[in-house]
Amino acid sequence: MKRLTKLMAGAAAIALATAGCAGSGGGSSKDSGGGDKTLTVWLMSGSAPETLTGALNKEFEAAHDGVTVKYEVQEWDGIQDKLTTALASQDPPDVIELGNTQAPSFAADEVLTDLSGDVDSLNGGQWLSSLKDSGEWDGKQYATPFYAANRVVLYRTDMFQQAGIASVPTSRAEWLDAITKLKAKFGSDPQFQPLYLPGQNWYTLLSFIYDEGGDIAKKSGTDFKATVNSPEAKAGLEFYKQLVDASGTTAPKDNDEQNPVQAGIYGQGKVAMMIALPWELGTAAKDNPDIEKNSSAFAIPSKTAGKAAPVFQGGSNLAIPVNSKNPDLAKDYLKLMLSDKYQKQLAEAGMVPGASSDLSALDAKPVSKAMADASKGGGKAAPATPKWATVEAGQNPLKDMLTAYLTGAKDLDTATNDANTALDAAFKG
Amino acid sequence: MTATVNTAVPAGTTPPAPPRARRRRTINLGEKAVPYLLLTPAVVVMLVLLGWPAVQVIGISFRKLDLGELVRGELVWVGFDNYASVLSNPEFWTITLRTVLFTAAIVAGTVLLGLLIALLMRHLSATVRVILQVTLVLAWATPILAATTVYQWIFDQQYGILNKTLVKLGFDSFQGYSWFSSGASTLTVIGILVVWQAVPFVCFTIYAGLLQAPQELYEAAAMDGVTPWQAFTTVSWPAVRPLVTLAAFLSVIWDFKVFAQVWAIRQGGPDGESTTLPLLMYLRGVAGRHFGVASAVAVLMILVLVVLTARYLQLLLRTREGDIS
Repeated sequence: MKRLTKLMAGAAAIALATAGCAGSGGGSSKDSGGGDKTLTVWLMSGSAPETLTGALNKEFEAAHDGVTVKYEVQEWDGIQDKLTTALASQDPPDVIELGNTQAPSFAADEVLTDLSGDVDSLNGGQWLSSLKDSGEWDGKQYATPFYAANRVVLYRTDMFQQAGIASVPTSRAEWLDAITKLKAKFGSDPQFQPLYLPGQNWYTLLSFIYDEGGDIAKKSGTDFKATVNSPEAKAGLEFYKQLVDASGTTAPKDNDEQNPVQAGIYGQGKVAMMIALPWELGTAAKDNPDIEKNSSAFAIPSKTAGKAAPVFQGGSNLAIPVNSKNPDLAKDYLKLMLSDKYQKQLAEAGMVPGASSDLSALDAKPVSKAMADASKGGGKAAPATPKWATVEAGQNPLKDMLTAYLTGAKDLDTATNDANTALDAAFKG
Repeated sequence: MTATVNTAVPAGTTPPAPPRARRRRTINLGEKAVPYLLLTPAVVVMLVLLGWPAVQVIGISFRKLDLGELVRGELVWVGFDNYASVLSNPEFWTITLRTVLFTAAIVAGTVLLGLLIALLMRHLSATVRVILQVTLVLAWATPILAATTVYQWIFDQQYGILNKTLVKLGFDSFQGYSWFSSGASTLTVIGILVVWQAVPFVCFTIYAGLLQAPQELYEAAAMDGVTPWQAFTTVSWPAVRPLVTLAAFLSVIWDFKVFAQVWAIRQGGPDGESTTLPLLMYLRGVAGRHFGVASAVAVLMILVLVVLTARYLQLLLRTREGDIS
């Protein structure tokens, strides 16, 4: 009975929230920027570094008399549920960070403040186009770009040197060759893995599919049609399997890069390469401080020699919930965050800034430079449909497809056809 | 609960007041009101905590309630659209059948195992029994998600202790065997986990019933030279039968709604093959943010549950003394 009660209570909470919102619809007083106010800001874990937010919040509070910034860092895990609850509440945060794949669904539900009129004052001329697109719905701008990032191959310089690999791989063939050499040198250690690659790293799969000239979905009008069973997508999936087999990675085939956290495994020092976001190196260094100076990165190699494969463009948007009590203050906050000063700091922290075309700060560190290089190969985001968020928060057919194909539970055609059907159903749902 | 109300308010015993005796009628009304007044606080609490949310769920199931409507506080009635969309999806029927079979299997497993351990306990020496009971309580007390994590480790493809043990025992095909590559195998693992967590309660309940069976009856049976099986059917079973029925009834309700373990193990994968009705509700509601559709699934779940437990509910309503067997 307890569980039933809980369920009912949950439903009641939603009902009460609805009723509450109905009452407060138009009455909330718009502020003018003065008086004792609290601006609640939710940024995600691993996004803007503390030094940046610390300085920014200080500057913002100094410029706005009587305003306190309540800055909270949220975890990505389960963030969609949390945002749903928070947005429906009476007192939502005033500034939120959204993953670029989540932004379209929130924009389409019209639960974010329309920022179309403020684009220019928010440094709009410098915006990264792919992130601008994910914050746009039906011709209106609901979210601004924040930063972008993409995956690179993190590798151990010392191991590469010992295995006699003179330069970093710049083609798939060289990449596989490097794996063979690493295996020959360190293979006697049963725990050694030339490349750590879990079965469900679908971001990496997308990169391979883009490299083949394919995509996972095709847009026609406002509808999306899955294309995971195209020859290009199949070729990408085959290369993924080739990599897994060549490396003999002991990573689980039925889980993703977060379970177990791959940076932790890289940190144990028995892995020569992993496909990761640049700051995962920092996570690995927490366990093993020495690993940072022995690591560097290169862009995911293309099948065309000398080129980088197009990457899956990850990133974040910033938005103001429609029920925010302090929308004008929130806009001022965004203005400051998107100013050249703080965007430069983002780049220094190793991210592609969302509102600045100046990437020079990224060249300072080799890992960040690899990311900037990789993004030049062309980045694509997940299909810009509001339904994509459901795929990520629920059951992702791409993960099922990878596991089924890698474990041999399904052959290539069955695996891709099943995933195609499931994705099409999700786009309709 | 119903039985208590019935005995407390013997409605039939008060003769109808004669129309002319005005004064007496008022007194009777006052006397009649007392039990109801005493019940009021409990009833109000029940209505607020259970009744109102239930009404809300039913109400929401007839509305379009996505995140937009929720935030803007709009009421959009769509009639039976949500039900139509749920019922017209062939997936729903597969999932319902899967959920019913899954529930049946784990309820049967739980009750049978609980009964066997309870019977075993009667034959154990005091020390061993205490050790067994403490073990059971510990299994019961382990937080659901902690237990789920431990099970994920046990069944892990590369590092799991189960695969390693099986390989050591000579079953080499279990090297790197994936227990979560098909829906049936995933549900089996989840089933074992749920049974493991549910057995202690059922076992203690049945053991309590066994203690009620008078020792003399066992002695008498032993003097008659009965086999252990006969002793069970003639002495033990009559003592525990009502409790077994009760445990089975409660298990059906609990196991039908299991969510945390199923979601945590593989999010209903692979390919949605271990998706059960509670997961479908979560996918529609929280992940897909169609709260109206999710409420429709919830209402349908209650209907399925009523059908499943119909026999027991019938017994419960028919009996006045609450003597279920």
